[in-house]
Amino acid sequence: MGLDRLAWRTLAARPLRSLLTTLGIALGVGVLAASLAMSAGIDAAIGRTVRDVVGSADLRVSAFLERGLSDATVETIRGTTGVEVVAPTIEQRTFLAPGSPGTATGARDAVTVVGIDPVAWSRLHELELVGGARLARPDEPSALVTESLADADGYVLGSELGIQGAGGLTSLRVIGIIAGPGPVAGAAGRTVIVPLAIARSTFGLDGVTRVDIGLAEGTTPSSVTSALADRLTTEPYVVASPGDLAAGLRASTADFQATTALVAAIVLFVGSFLIVNTLSMTVGERAREVGLLRAAGATRAQVVRFVLAGALVLGIVGSALGLVVGVLLGSLMAGSVRALTGFPAEVEGLDAGSLAVAFLVGVAITLAGATEPAVRAARISPVEALRARLDLPAVRRAQLRWLAALFLAVAVIALLAWPPAAGTTGADRALAVYAVLLGATLATPFLLPPLARVLGRPVAGMLRLEERLARGSLARDRSRTALTLGSLVVGLAMIVALGWTAQAARNAATAWLADVVPGDAIVTSIRPIAADEPVDVRATLGAVDGVATVTPIATFDLAIRGVRFDAAAIVGADFLEDGRLTFVSGERTPALRAIDAGGSAILPRIAADRLGLGAGDTISLALGPGRTLDLEVAGVVSRSLPGGGGEAILVGWGDASTAIGITGADVFAVRFEDDAGAGAFDALAAASRGLALEANPLERVQGAVTDALGRVFGLFDALALVAVLVAGLGIVNTLAMGVVERVREIGVLRAIGMTRRQASRMVVVEAAILGLVGAVLGAVVGLAVGLVLLVLSGGFAASAGIPWGSIAVAAILGLAGPAIAAWYPSRLASGVSIVRALKFE
Amino acid sequence: MPPILEANDLTKRFELGQSTVEALKGVSLAVQPGEFVALMGPSGSGKSTLLQLLGGLDQPTTGVVVFEGRDISRLSDDDATRLRRERTGFVFQAFNLIPLLDVRENIALPFTIAGQDASRGELRDRIAEVIALVELSGKERHRPDQLSAGEQQRVAVARALVTRPSVLLADEPTGNLDYTTGGELLDALWKSCDAGGQTVVLVTHDARAAAYADRVLVIGDGRILDEIVLGRRADHSAAPLIARLAQLGL
Repeated sequence: MGLDRLAWRTLAARPLRSLLTTLGIALGVGVLAASLAMSAGIDAAIGRTVRDVVGSADLRVSAFLERGLSDATVETIRGTTGVEVVAPTIEQRTFLAPGSPGTATGARDAVTVVGIDPVAWSRLHELELVGGARLARPDEPSALVTESLADADGYVLGSELGIQGAGGLTSLRVIGIIAGPGPVAGAAGRTVIVPLAIARSTFGLDGVTRVDIGLAEGTTPSSVTSALADRLTTEPYVVASPGDLAAGLRASTADFQATTALVAAIVLFVGSFLIVNTLSMTVGERAREVGLLRAAGATRAQVVRFVLAGALVLGIVGSALGLVVGVLLGSLMAGSVRALTGFPAEVEGLDAGSLAVAFLVGVAITLAGATEPAVRAARISPVEALRARLDLPAVRRAQLRWLAALFLAVAVIALLAWPPAAGTTGADRALAVYAVLLGATLATPFLLPPLARVLGRPVAGMLRLEERLARGSLARDRSRTALTLGSLVVGLAMIVALGWTAQAARNAATAWLADVVPGDAIVTSIRPIAADEPVDVRATLGAVDGVATVTPIATFDLAIRGVRFDAAAIVGADFLEDGRLTFVSGERTPALRAIDAGGSAILPRIAADRLGLGAGDTISLALGPGRTLDLEVAGVVSRSLPGGGGEAILVGWGDASTAIGITGADVFAVRFEDDAGAGAFDALAAASRGLALEANPLERVQGAVTDALGRVFGLFDALALVAVLVAGLGIVNTLAMGVVERVREIGVLRAIGMTRRQASRMVVVEAAILGLVGAVLGAVVGLAVGLVLLVLSGGFAASAGIPWGSIAVAAILGLAGPAIAAWYPSRLASGVSIVRALKFE
Repeated sequence: MPPILEANDLTKRFELGQSTVEALKGVSLAVQPGEFVALMGPSGSGKSTLLQLLGGLDQPTTGVVVFEGRDISRLSDDDATRLRRERTGFVFQAFNLIPLLDVRENIALPFTIAGQDASRGELRDRIAEVIALVELSGKERHRPDQLSAGEQQRVAVARALVTRPSVLLADEPTGNLDYTTGGELLDALWKSCDAGGQTVVLVTHDARAAAYADRVLVIGDGRILDEIVLGRRADHSAAPLIARLAQLGL
């Protein structure tokens, strides 16, 4: 008990150091807690979303092709054993008619129209209304709108609502308002629910988008799924359970969660440096006291307990504080997730599981960090400690092999705490990054002397003594330097690595679109536009002043060997003329002509690699059970048009419309004439608006992609900055400790003529050298980590370039961080009283 | 000849929490150029405090210190620093070398601090000269941890002498040394005084060390209790001093 009290007093005797360490632990635990709470928040949101989307349905059968599931298929489903409720649904994106309340102000945001069978649908879905009534009949000209849409566009009960359909406007009356954003994920709350028959007639559809199924009691989803497989033989479909939907949603956030977890692990890694350093310093400083305790009869175990008790206090206080930090950070991160993925992720703030795990990991890492100094303290010989002149460095120095062992333990803890949703690929990446960072940290003390000598040269020109003493001070305790400089290097490396990854992604996205899109602008439609529609969209757009070419593109899905692929129907001749697509296999001209002629396809390299196919091979597209379309691979391109989830397999319009059932284009790529002025785009935009289409310049599309990437990486950068902040706390600690240890030395220097400014400058120069070496090593290690991340994620390409911007940011942080951190220690050094310092031992 | 160093009615009080300790209670003394003066007394007598005031390391509570005719008792920190760097040399009891600098670098420190290049010209010769004086030739590149305690203290003496200070102030320089090495160090100090005309003020509680001095000021309870004039002697025998101290009952 007495020893525990002594441990407490030891912490209280150095309040600044204890505070900095506690803050370091708090930041590490905070980021971990936030990351875990966010993961839990995403999981909860996925659960809610799935409930909202499928209600109590047990299975959902979705159409694979654009024309949907026919009535015959719906009837077949209805007649399948075990199926009790069948709710056919149509889902279409469209615009509301001009003249509707909100559109008068020029709002052009799309809405999602859901056509339902009111009776069947209500058996599977609960719809909470805030006003009005539900739909009653399958053909009444009524609509329900979401509260969000009503608020945004000014609809009230009884409002007229015009839906833009295939053959013109359908006018409906709003009879009910659905609470909140409504049941459709990804609709941004802009949903209109109408009777099924109304949706069909509005959009001119024969089929339905999907069928939600409620099973009879005692029936299992798997038995019905296999029964459906036997019976549904005429049209391709996808059957999914709520679990499948949840898994799909989870996959869309997995990368984000994995990277967040990785950065959290790295902040903890840096935090653990701070813990080891602080406790090592304390043990070094208290060596004589420990020797006294041992001489007075304290056992080694008691000494270990003495050190661990201090660590436990730091760990508990720091981790508790970290939970508060975590809740705040978590809310910010959840906001980012909402903005990025459209997911209603919330961090409840009281997700007890995440907070408990973060707290325990914080305490465990603190104790793990304390173990080495504790064991070292226990090994102090009483005789050695009580000598008049104690060889402190021998007592103070931690062994690098101990550190390696400790940080391997941290890796194991991190793996145990790894969010399962983040997947094992993320864990592999994290381990590889961790290994690079650990190796760099352990190599730091060996690299420091030569690097400090070279980088200190400019400083030495002006401040020779300060530079010499500062460099010597840094080399004095290798392990402390490894940890202090290592933490700075790790923080800066993450900034460089994440910056590089972001830059590579941005470059790839920008280069990709320019390489594959045969246009300067993209005109998109939320429904397929057939070539034979009353208004010839392609001709109308082509007639706009300054427009040279308009090429129609349809995006859709394909199934090959049971796997979904993105696909696009294109006019090969347009791509040939515009010089788009880079062929890595096959000849450009024959290949593009071949897809126009039919019977051929062009594969993106990523799909060709996945399928193990090359030019001349044949792909077999599944168009429904028993129906396939064989296409010859006419060529392989390095990058293809972007689809919903990847790059598209390119087919000709002939095959797309006749065999695959594509009814029209949903994208038009527009190339302007060379001498077209700035007004050409405005004219195109105006013409597009008149056709209920949306025109965007290619740069804006690229900008939207890079902006989205910027927001994701901005969040990661912010987390990496926390690591730099923790490193900064470590630097303050180390520099301050350096001053305390050298107080007698500084006293002597002052006695023989060193000014206060020189004493202060000595510490600032030490920080500057630390920062310079940190910035150089941070940049190098950051590039190595970036390379690992890019190579492991398959995103490495020559276009990745060198992230000069991030390197500059790391250099600025590397210099500014230690300079700020040196403020207090340098004041400490300049304030050293000579008389008192000379009495100090 | 006017004294090189003079103290007039010096007092020094320290506030220790609620209580006040009066370390010096009105001390006056004068040191002539080239003189070797020892301040002798038991622990806590105030002798180290007096030395710190004489060397500009600290300021008196009242009274005046006149160094080469100039009042240094109220100097600004920068002026006091310059005084220490250019006009005085200090030797302390122990641990007063910079561990990561070698012998030559430690000795050159006052020049380096002043921004001078000690690797060439006159400064280089002066360094070589003091290294020879303290008999450390051949060990210029040794680091402090490669030297014996006596050698380390001789490096400290060389560093104090290299600027050719007006006064060398030594605070218990033999406190951590054994009999033989302590004797060697005192010999070096005496040689600098006798042959080089260096003024030396030595603080010690050891009669054998004090016996090297021309004059011994006995300090007790913050006051000068007695002055014992021994004169310049080559044999440094402590017997006359011890006899005189015995007469005083010290």
